[in-house]
Amino acid sequence: MKSEIGKLYIELNEEFNFYAPIKVKGNLEFKKILNPDDIVLDYYNSKVPPKEILFPKTDILFEYKTDGKNVTEIIERTDLDEKNIIFGIRPCDAHSFVILETFFAFGDVEDEIFLKKRANSLIIGIGCNTPRSTCFCTSIEGHPFMKDDMDIFLVDLGEKYLVEGISEKGKELMSRLKWLSDADRKDIKKARELYEQAEHSIETKLDLKDINKILDPHFEHPIWAEISDICIGCGTCSFLCPTCTCFDVIDEMDQYHNKGRRFRIWDTCQFCLYTLHTSGHNPRDSCIERCRNRILHKFCYYPENYNMLGCVGCGRCIQLCPVNNDLRVIIEKLNSIKTKKEEKVSA
Amino acid sequence: MVISVSIESENRDIENSMKETARALLKEKKVDVIIGYSKGTVPLSSAPILIRNVDEVERLVWNNLCYINLAKYLVPRIPQLIDPEKGDLNVGIITKGCVGRALIHLRTENQINLENVIMIGIPCNGIINRKKIEKEIGENEILELFTSGNEIIVKGKDFEKKFSFEDYVNELCKVCKIKAPPKIKELQGSYVGECQEVSSIDDNFEDLTEFESKPTVEKWNYIKDTLQTCTRCYACREACPMCYCKLCFVDQNKPIWFQKTTEISDIISFHLVRAMHLAGRCVACGACSSVCPVGIDLNLINRKLEKIVKERFDFTSGIDASKMPPMMEYSMDDAEEFMLEED
Repeated sequence: MKSEIGKLYIELNEEFNFYAPIKVKGNLEFKKILNPDDIVLDYYNSKVPPKEILFPKTDILFEYKTDGKNVTEIIERTDLDEKNIIFGIRPCDAHSFVILETFFAFGDVEDEIFLKKRANSLIIGIGCNTPRSTCFCTSIEGHPFMKDDMDIFLVDLGEKYLVEGISEKGKELMSRLKWLSDADRKDIKKARELYEQAEHSIETKLDLKDINKILDPHFEHPIWAEISDICIGCGTCSFLCPTCTCFDVIDEMDQYHNKGRRFRIWDTCQFCLYTLHTSGHNPRDSCIERCRNRILHKFCYYPENYNMLGCVGCGRCIQLCPVNNDLRVIIEKLNSIKTKKEEKVSA
Repeated sequence: MVISVSIESENRDIENSMKETARALLKEKKVDVIIGYSKGTVPLSSAPILIRNVDEVERLVWNNLCYINLAKYLVPRIPQLIDPEKGDLNVGIITKGCVGRALIHLRTENQINLENVIMIGIPCNGIINRKKIEKEIGENEILELFTSGNEIIVKGKDFEKKFSFEDYVNELCKVCKIKAPPKIKELQGSYVGECQEVSSIDDNFEDLTEFESKPTVEKWNYIKDTLQTCTRCYACREACPMCYCKLCFVDQNKPIWFQKTTEISDIISFHLVRAMHLAGRCVACGACSSVCPVGIDLNLINRKLEKIVKERFDFTSGIDASKMPPMMEYSMDDAEEFMLEED
C-alpha cells in the first residue's frame, strides 16, 4: 500500500540515509528525509535532478588544519561508507546514474567519492505513469517503465505499488520486508496497461540514431551560430541536466583559524571561465562554441567514448531554458543538415 | 463613454501594428535584422528571435509571456548582430517599456550606440507571473496558456483553470509607469509606434510597506528563505540587461573575491552584492525572477533599492538619458545619510 511508505522509512531509516521526493519552497527535490510525512508521492519529476545526492552542488573533498605554515592534519570524509536509499526516482534519472558512473570511473583515476557513494546506494525507482509533453526517453532507447538501472522497481497502481526486485541487492532488501503482500493477477495486468499507456503518451520522437556521424564532420557548420543566437549563457540547461558532470575544484584557506578545505562545485561549459586559459585565450569564446560543446558532448563525444548517448530524455532543459532554446528544435535543425545533403546528392 | 478593451484584444492590436512596422522597416532596408519574440515551444514561455526577411515577420508574437529583456542581446552585441565586413548591423528591436529603459540607461553608461538601433516601441500591457501560476497548478502539467478577455486560461490534461490577469501579472508591472519606451528628444527619429509615460499610475512604493514594517531579523530571514534554493546557474545575471560586465565580481579568480558554493552565506553574498550593483540601474523588467529555474523572486530586493535611489537621489533609471545616474556621479554636497543609519 502507498500509505505504508512511512513504515518502509521507519524500518530502513536507521540503517540507511533515506532520500525521497519532498517539496522545498514549492519545488520538488530529492532530499534526505527527516519526517516521513514530508514525502510527496504524486509528482512528475524534480527540477534539480537527483544526481545532486551523489554529486552535490557543493561537495567538500577534504578539510585540513595547519600550524600557520604547513598542513598538519588532513581530515578525510567519513560519510562515504554510509548506506543510502534513493526512493522515487524515475527511470530516466536512474539511467543517468549509469552514465555518471561511466564517466566517474573512466580512465586511470577513478573518482572515489562518487563511486563509493554510488556503490552504497540502493535505488527504489517508480515507473512514469504520465510522462510530460517534453519527455523523450523512448528516443534514446529508454522507456517510462525501464527498470534495468534500478534495484527495486515500483509501479504506481493508484492505491498501492507493485514491487519488483531487480538486482540481487534489491531482492535481498525485499525479502526483509515481510509485510509486503503478494501481487495478484489483476495488479500485474494493470501494471501492463499502465506500461503501454505511458509508452503511447510520449509524443516527442527524436531521430538520434547516428547523430554523432552528422555532428562530427560539421564542427564548423554555420548552423551553430543559428542554434546559439538567443542563448544568454546561463547554466540552467547543464545544472538541471541529470548527466552533466563538470565541476570546478577550489581550495579555501581560513588563515585566521589555521584551517582550510578543498571542495568542488558544479561548473558548466556555458560559463565564461570554463575553458579560459591562463594566457587569456579562450577557445570557447562565445555562445556559439559553448552551445556547440554542450550538444557535441552529449550526442557525439559520449557515443564515441563510452558507446552511449549523454542524454536521458528527461526534458528538463526544454522545460526550463530561460529563452526557450528547445533541444528538440536543435536536434531537428541538426538532422536537417543530413537531409539537405542527401537532397544535393540525389539532385 | 468608456470603452473597455480586453488584454486579449490589446495583444492582437499590439502584435498587428508591431508586425506592420517590422515589415516596413525590413522592406525599406532601414534595418538588417529585427530582434523580437516568437511563440515558445512550451507553455508559459516565449523565445527571442532574430528576423532577417520580410516573410519571417509572421513569426513575431506579442503576448504576456514576453518576459526576456531583449536589450540583453545588444550589450554586448551578440556575434550574430555583427557583420564581419560591415561591422555592426542596423538592428530593429521590439521595445516594451523596460527594454527601452534598459537601452537608454545603457546609453547613459556609454555601453551602447543607439545610432544603428531602431526601437519599435510597443505599449506593453504587463507580463504574467509564470512562477506564481506554476505554483498554483502544482504537480500538474500545464499544456496550454493563453489570455481570453481579461483572464488567463491554463489548460492541462484533465483540468482547466482561470486566473484573473490583474492578479497574476508581475508585481513590477502593476506599478510600471513606463509601459512603452520613453522618448528622448535627440533620438526622436528612431522611434516607431506609440510611446508614452502612463501618468495615471502613482508609484509610491506601497508594495514595500509590509516588508519594511518587519523587524530586521524577519527581513533577514526572508532573504535567507527566498535564496536558499539557488543553484548558482546565474540565469538571473545572464538575463539581466544591466549585468554586462566582462568578468562578474563572482567570477574573479585571480585572486578569488567571492566563493561560489551553494552554502547559504555564499548565495547571499552573490545576490546581495549583485543587487547593490544594480542600485539605480535596475530597470524593473523582472526578467531575473521570470527566468530563475527554481523560482526565486528577486524583485522585492531590487524594488527596495529602486526606492532608496528614488528617495535619496530622485533618480529613476532609463528615463532621462541626459541625467547622470547617482552611482556615476560625484557630488561634493552628497549628504551620505546612509552611512549613519542602521537599517
